[in-house]
Order: sequence, then C-alpha cells, then structure tokens
Amino acid sequence: MNATGIPLKEPEISAAAGDTGQLERAYIDASTRVPVLMFYTSAIGWLILGTLLAGFVSIKLQSPDLLGDISFLTWGRVRPAHMNVMVYGWASMAGMGTAIWLMARLCRTVLRFPLLLVAGAAFWNLGVLMGVCGILLGDSTGYQWLEFPRYSAIILFVAYALVASWAVLMFRYRRGEQIYITQWYLLGAFLWFPWLYAAGQLMLFVVPVQGVLQSAIGWWYSNNLLFLWFGAIALGTAYYMIPKVIGRPVYSYHLATIGFWTYALFSSWTGMQRLVDGPFPAWMITASIAATILAMIPVATVGLNHHMTMRGYFPLMRYSPTLRFTVFGAMSYTVFSVVGVLISLRSVARYVHFTEASIAYSHLGLYAFFTMVIFGSMYYIVPRLVEREWRYASLIKLHFWASAYGIGLMTLMLLAGGFLQGADMQNPTLPFSESIETVLPYLRGRSLAGLLMTAAHFIFAYHFGLMLLGLGRTSTVPTFLNPVEAETSGGH
Amino acid sequence: MKGLVPLFLGIFGTFAFSWVGLTVIPNWQIGHLNPESDEEGTDIYPRPQSGMFVRGEHVYAANGCVYCHSEQVRADYAANDIERGWGTRRSAPVDYIFERPVFLGKMRMGQDLANIGARAPAQQESPAPGGAASPAASPGPSTTSPAPATLPSTSPATASAASPASSPATSPAVSSSPNATPPLGQRTGVASPSPSQMVNATPGGSSPVAPAAQTPGAPWPIQTEGFPPMYSGAWHHVHLYSPRSINFDSNMPSYRFLYEKRRITGERSADALQLSGADAPPAGWEVVPTYDAKCLVAYLMGLNQSHPLKGIRSVGGAPAAAPSSATAAQGASPGPAAAASPSPAAAKK
Repeated sequence: MNATGIPLKEPEISAAAGDTGQLERAYIDASTRVPVLMFYTSAIGWLILGTLLAGFVSIKLQSPDLLGDISFLTWGRVRPAHMNVMVYGWASMAGMGTAIWLMARLCRTVLRFPLLLVAGAAFWNLGVLMGVCGILLGDSTGYQWLEFPRYSAIILFVAYALVASWAVLMFRYRRGEQIYITQWYLLGAFLWFPWLYAAGQLMLFVVPVQGVLQSAIGWWYSNNLLFLWFGAIALGTAYYMIPKVIGRPVYSYHLATIGFWTYALFSSWTGMQRLVDGPFPAWMITASIAATILAMIPVATVGLNHHMTMRGYFPLMRYSPTLRFTVFGAMSYTVFSVVGVLISLRSVARYVHFTEASIAYSHLGLYAFFTMVIFGSMYYIVPRLVEREWRYASLIKLHFWASAYGIGLMTLMLLAGGFLQGADMQNPTLPFSESIETVLPYLRGRSLAGLLMTAAHFIFAYHFGLMLLGLGRTSTVPTFLNPVEAETSGGH
Repeated sequence: MKGLVPLFLGIFGTFAFSWVGLTVIPNWQIGHLNPESDEEGTDIYPRPQSGMFVRGEHVYAANGCVYCHSEQVRADYAANDIERGWGTRRSAPVDYIFERPVFLGKMRMGQDLANIGARAPAQQESPAPGGAASPAASPGPSTTSPAPATLPSTSPATASAASPASSPATSPAVSSSPNATPPLGQRTGVASPSPSQMVNATPGGSSPVAPAAQTPGAPWPIQTEGFPPMYSGAWHHVHLYSPRSINFDSNMPSYRFLYEKRRITGERSADALQLSGADAPPAGWEVVPTYDAKCLVAYLMGLNQSHPLKGIRSVGGAPAAAPSSATAAQGASPGPAAAASPSPAAAKK
C-alpha cells in the first residue's frame, strides 16, 4: 500500500468539482459545530461518570461493605445508575451527535434550526441528570434500562421530540434524490426510538400490562433499544466512515438493501430468548430464538459488504484512527451476533441463564460494537468541527489498545465466568453459593479489564478536552497513527 | 434506494410487525388472566396483596434487589430449581397477575426468591390454602391473607424451640449442638464442619460463621444459634441488616440504612433486631426496622407460589416449608437426617 493511497481529507471528489465540493462540506461542517460539540461534550462527561460508577459497582461486588451504610451508594442503586448513565448519557448522546453530523452531510445542506438541537441536548442532559439522581435516591422503577422515574422519562421524551423533529425538517431540505444507506439506518433509528420508548413507557407505567408481560415488554424494549437504536446508528455510521476513509464506494448496494431490511425485520423480534424457560407461552421464546438466528442474515450481508469494501485496504488501519476503531466495531457486530446466537440456543441458554454471560453480551453490543464505532466517528468528526487535528497519535493508540484489550478481556472473563457459574448452578450436588464462589475470580478479572477501559476513557476525554480548547495541531494532514512517510519507499 | 415513501413504510411496517407480534398478541393471549379457584369458588389463588406488600415491592425495586435475585422457578426438565428447594412447581403466568412491577429477574448472584415466603417457618408461613396432599402444613383457613402484616418478634429461646417442628431438615443439627447458648459468637448448627472449612472460615479467631455446609435437599440449612429460625421475618431483618453475620461468604450488601439505631426508652421494642457479635448495638440501644424495612420483609414473606395450579405438576404435596421433602420425593436427596451431616460439606471443596 502506497502512502498516497491514504486520502487526506475528502477522497471521492473529482478534480473538477473538488474545490466547491470541499468548500461546501467545510461550510456544512461548520454549521454543525455547536450542536454536535454540545452532544459530544455532554456524552463524554457522562462516559467518565458512568465509568467511575462502573468501577464502584465492580469493587462493591468484591467488598460489599464498602460505603454500605449510605442509602444512595448501595450496590443495587449504583448499578442501574451506571447502566442508565451509559445508555442514555453516553451512548445515546454520542450516537445522536454523530447522527446529526451525518444527517447534515448526507442531506447536503447546512444545519438548519440549530436551536432545536441545542435545546434538545440541554433537555436530554437534564432528563438524564434527574433520572440518575432519582435512581440514587430510590425512585427506580426496577425495569432494566427503564429505571428512570417518570418525571425524568417525560423530559427525555421532550428532548427527543426536539431532536427528531429537527431530523424530519432536515430531510425536507435535503438536496439530491439519492438516499444513501447511512440515511436508511439513521432514519430508522430516529423513527423507531420514539415508538419504542413510548411503547415501553405506556405499556409498563401508564397503562400497565398484566403480570409477566411486564417482563416481556421490558426485554422487548431493551433488546430493541440495543438493535434498533444503538445498532442502527452504529451500522449507519460504519457504512459512512469505511468508504469515506478508504475512498472507495460501498461494494454492493444490493447487499446493503438486503442487510437493512432483514436487520429491521429480524433483530426487532429478538429479546424473548432472555426469558428462556420462564413462565411464558413457549412460542414467544422460540420466536425470539429463531429471530436471533435469522439475524445472522444481516450480519453476513453487512459483514460481507464491509469486508469487500475494505478488501485490499486493510493496511490503512495502520494509519487511520477512524478506520481502526470503525472496523473493530464492525467486526464486533459479527462477534456480538454470534455470541448472541450461541447463548440463545435453548440448550446453552439453560446453562448461561441468570449468569454473568448476559452482561458479557450487553457489553459486546453496547461497547465493542456501538461505542467503538462511535469513537471512530468522533475521531473523524471532531477535527472538522474545531478545525484542528488530534494532537497526539500516541494517545489515540493508547486509547484504542486499552479499549480493545479492555473489552476483549471483559468479554472473555464474563463469558467464561458465566458458563462456569451456570454449570455450577445446574449441578444439583453443589450448593448454590458454590456458583458465586466460582464466578468471583472472573469478576476480579473483569475489574482489571474495567481498569483498562477507565484508562482509555480518561485518555480520550483529555484528548478531546485539548481539541475543545483549540490545542489541537493546525495542519492540513490528519493525525495518522503511524508516520506515513517512514513506512513507504517512495512517499512524498 | 429511491423515494422516501417505501423507506418510511418499511421502517414502520417492520417495527409494527415486531410490536404486534411480541407485545400485542401475547397481551391478548396471557394479558387478562383471572385467579384460579376450585369448583366451589372458595379456594382462590392468587389474591391481591396487602398494602405493605405493595410498598415492599417498591422498596425492592428502589434498592435493586432484582439485579441479583430472580423470582421464577423453572420446570424440572429445564433446570434444577425445584431440586434446590426453590419451589414445588414451575412458575406460571397466573402467579404474577397481581404483581406490579414483576421481578422475574435476570441474574442469580443470590438465590431465587419466588417462594421465599413459603419457605418461612410454619408458625408464620402464609398458609397455602387447600394444598392437595398436605396433611400437616396448611391448617389455616383459606381466607387468611397471604401476607403477614405483622412481624412476630421471636425471642431466641422460642425460635430454637420452634424450629424443630417447622423445619425437619435443620432440627437434628439444632438439637445435637453441644452449646445451647453460645456466647455472642455465631456458631452454625452444622454438627462438625470439615477441617478445610474451618481453615477457610476462621482466619482471625474472631468467630465468623463457617460457610454454609449446604446439601442438595436443603439449600440454606445454616441454622445459626442466637438467630431467629430461617426465613422468618425476624431472620430476614437480621439478614438484611448484616448478611455476613449469618453467612460469612455472602456478598450481599447490607441494608443498614433501612434500620434505625436508637436508645431504648422504657422497654425494648418488640421488633428490635436480635443481633449479636460486632453488629449488636451497645447496651441501652436497639436496632429497629424502619417502615420500609418492614414492608420489604412483608413483601418477601408474601412471595409464595406453593399453591398448586391446574395443569402444572407439583412435586411432592407439601408446600416448600420443608424443601427436603420435595426432593426426597424425587429420590435425589439424602433424607432429613443426612442433611446436617458433615459429608456433603467435605465434598464441597
């Protein structure tokens, strides 16, 4: 691979249209600066808070008496606070920031109505803050990922309505007939989320359904949030970033179409496999297991599409931070789905049900897949907003490796620990407490992985802070992970 | 892709399919269940719960108990929940129709609680009305409220006196224990913990409880002297206040913030906790549960799925007060006498 193969800024533009195209994009990027940076800055603030909460949760599992007398620091409150900070504070805000930028770029129009977004971000922050305080003060609803009390949920919904109405307005102002693949996913995410959130809130709290169905709705909600909100944003982002950075069109639109519709159809039916052997009609669980397996079709098509797009360009991962994070995330999508199928099959699910393996699964989806793709997009977008390049390649590398090894180790620990825990639990000759004793060493390993990820997040936050303060490099060349010149023979 | 309309329709259509399929149709199928009753319409199960139970549900949610405890018994072909004594039959949708929220749970860092109320000692167990083949266990009239609204304050003496009658699995241990009234230290009722356990459990000479010498038939036969009988309301209070005083290895958080330490004015309160060792309050002080703690325990004591249901096979006949009887019926467990013998403990490590 020759170093000239690395596109510097905007690869696909033709020589003739180059200047105007580049100018237009710079103009659009500048118009997104305030709202997107607002979403990103808040998201990174929540990421740091969520990381600290995670560390606290993880330590308390080992020494349960630590600060145990304080009601709002009890394990059962800090843990949902951690999850919700990560889901609504970090992941949703970072995802919306990236989605807003992509929308403006792909609609090829300057960002209009920025106040809608600024207000949306402010309300969203308020909603998350009130929700987290509510959980810590003992107002949690007890449903996974819907723990925020009602007053916070209403604020979140208002905030979301502002962002979504902006997205619809932007679509009206778009130029060009073609709707790119990324836009399918983003439009889907923006439309699915309110329906999902409203359905969850209404069917659980406003007009609650009876009995066990509440649990079914809870799992339906959290699985769909993972796939149709976070997953859709991450896939859309990957479809934009990979071709953009390597400067080639997507391998096949046809595959992308198949991938998108099968994704929408099948992944939305998953969730009930988490209730395996529970007090439900068997068809519900079976349908979700089948859907989990069928969801391998979009995995295969999306994975194939990305792979064929990348073919011959994999060495670029050595240089481009965006590409490295994005490809890691896109590959994790496959791993996440394969693990999802494995732990859903009835015979396996019986072993791993009620164990730490389910935590491995949600971290694979939310971190290895979604968060890594979003990190990649932030490395691409932020320099275009602040008109500076990332200051230290070494910090980006540290961030990547700490995150990658951290999530890898965490997944392994939780999966292995979960399987052993489940095996002990299924062994009637062992006392129940033995299964806990078995998993505790793995949880210590998990804490170690968490330390790596904590380091990664602090490094990233510091680097991002430098960029915000205008301390990035002023250069026309993006920050590469490794010096390009030294690697090639006849570079310029 | 050309055109917004097909895109919009597809996005709505796929999600509507999932929404109808996984929420609307199940709601139509099992969303409007009625309590079961026998032919005369007297033996109704389940029944709406008491106000304390409902408030306790919210305390349970607020403090995140659901992240470590499940409340569902899986069928015997799928798991060994029943063998562990967590219930006599698998859970069914109808068991939960009056619960909101429902805490089926996703994780078992602690044991299942679906029948924790049924496992309470007989004198305060919520009677399981009309258990088909339960000669001794349900003398109560069928109209008794399932949730015990008042918490009995069992003194240690009556507690150990009552336990042989109520839980046969632990009675040999209690009666054979040489120290009837040990000093403040806690001793398990297990007759002779294996040496390896002793090494593990007593690092500093301060008297911690040996880890549970548990047997398959009786999941938690840790009968500790000086404590109320297992799973009684008073036991729950002590366990919530100081889990490691009962089970040294437990990693359950303590919920001291649900309790109030106060100076005894006049007589000692009837509901003061029977604490010992380092947890015991200084002389002249007592630890009493707040109303939230009482509600939480009322909730736990009200969790009881031992009532038989039509079409669902119950193992054994008796409610799960004596878990070993359930497993003995399957022939998979040593008898009650063996439950307290040290051999399973030796097999532990």
